[in-house]
Amino acid sequence: MLDVSRVQKELAECNRDTAISGVSIALHDGGSDLSRLSGTISGPVATPYEGGTFQIDIRLPSGYPFEPPKMQFVTKVWHPNISSQNGAICLDILKDQWSPALTLKTALLSLQALLSAPEPDDPQDAVVAQQYLRDHQTFMATARYWTEAFARRSSVGIEEKVQKLVEMGFPEDLVRSTLESVNGDENQALEMLCSS
Amino acid sequence: MSKRILCKFFLHGACLKGEYCEFSHDWQDQPNNICTFYQKGVCSYGNRCRYDHVKVSRQQTSRPSSLNTASHVTSDFHQVTLPPVVSLTREYNPEPSTSVDVSAMSLAHTLPCKPAWTKAFEVDTSLNDESGPCPTYVSPADQPICSFAASGKCPRGDRCPHIHGDLCSICGKHCLHPFRPDEREEHIKMCHKNNKHLEALKCSQEIECSVCLEHVLSKPTAAERKFGLLSECDHPFCISCIRNWRSNSPASGMDVNSALRACPICRKLSYFVIPSVIWYSTKEEKQEIVDSYKIKLKSIDCKYFDFGNGTCPFGTSCFYKHAYRDGRLEEVVLRHLDAEDGSTIIAKDIRFVSGFEGG
Repeated sequence: MLDVSRVQKELAECNRDTAISGVSIALHDGGSDLSRLSGTISGPVATPYEGGTFQIDIRLPSGYPFEPPKMQFVTKVWHPNISSQNGAICLDILKDQWSPALTLKTALLSLQALLSAPEPDDPQDAVVAQQYLRDHQTFMATARYWTEAFARRSSVGIEEKVQKLVEMGFPEDLVRSTLESVNGDENQALEMLCSS
Repeated sequence: MSKRILCKFFLHGACLKGEYCEFSHDWQDQPNNICTFYQKGVCSYGNRCRYDHVKVSRQQTSRPSSLNTASHVTSDFHQVTLPPVVSLTREYNPEPSTSVDVSAMSLAHTLPCKPAWTKAFEVDTSLNDESGPCPTYVSPADQPICSFAASGKCPRGDRCPHIHGDLCSICGKHCLHPFRPDEREEHIKMCHKNNKHLEALKCSQEIECSVCLEHVLSKPTAAERKFGLLSECDHPFCISCIRNWRSNSPASGMDVNSALRACPICRKLSYFVIPSVIWYSTKEEKQEIVDSYKIKLKSIDCKYFDFGNGTCPFGTSCFYKHAYRDGRLEEVVLRHLDAEDGSTIIAKDIRFVSGFEGG
């Protein structure tokens, strides 16, 4: 049985200081299932991931918090410990070193720390790890390019995005809810609005 | 005679008479559990009564109600007579319907013997008329203090014929006997202990479990409102959460020794969890909780040992009692092995399997 009250508390707690921590959690696709969440972390400064916003798919097993949450990068990222193919993460606290005193927020913060401190000796993606060790410069360039290409979120504020989409002729409340469900991605929101 | 009967007030830790009590304060003695109402033929509780419904032979019932109630009020222990041989014949409720249906109050009036509470009241009023206890033969230390004042407020105030106890600064009641120093000390000691327990309980209310993120003492079911103390560190969890975590199957990918037995917060290994209703604030308090828990377990027979029929996987370090049916305790046999360097090592329970592997 999933500890619903704990998950709700965690969500409230995590989203209280999003601006400072740089991590946030929302229900997956704006649904109501507490076992499917999506997390967002901002790329740490002074790394090739700076300026990027990374989406993480979170699935809570029924034994949570006594079993670790399952986390995977949705946003493509070039990192020795994250699969460049499917976003699988190699991090001990998400496996055998999980502890029930850890939370989704601390797990996301650990991912953020992993971005700034890769562990090439314990790789998830051998190709990236090889490049990290042998040709660090190329690694840095690729990681930065991937951040620009896949993780860049326009710097425009949410209000401006809403205004832009409303000007295109969509009702305001629909625009707001759509933007929220895609975590503020303007293009994705437009796509959804057009297809609906 | 009554010195052999365990004082009921003492039993509940609330006897105001201390060593002056005419009833026994020795835990070895048995309390008198005979229902005085049943002796008179009317107990409104019937077979639900918490006291024994047994018939006591005629001569003892001469003053049945004075056994517990009146004697405590008057402290006149000459009145209390109980023959050395008490022959009790247990009756399995011959007429349960009459004793249940008829109210005790109405029937008591029709009976020649008055109920105990009326008698006690009479004694009280008679003392009132005498304007205080007779000073000729009763020393102040032998007089009981006013029980009304002791339990809060005496309606008679200054006109009360009984001695009013001094105010206990801890519980705020007039329950310290002015002429019995030992009793005073005992009460203050008890009060201190109770007070400390209450304080600890109050502080414990605020403690949150780091796993379920709830206040431990506000959990929905009573069984969950307990802390699980780890032997090696001081991080608070509720008993259900920490047990749940530690009983997690290693098949889930977690390592037993580095993760499951470790504190979820500091990852320090602890080999056992101690349940407790209060959270401690000092090392000594924790030790006290741990010790009393171990003593309690030591009095319970180990289900694995099963009076010598089974084998306990914990061996001699088991917290439970390893005793045979005849009460004999299991002998602690340490097998000494001479190590190569000349020192002696103590072998643990050597098993069949390990012998083969070693050989």
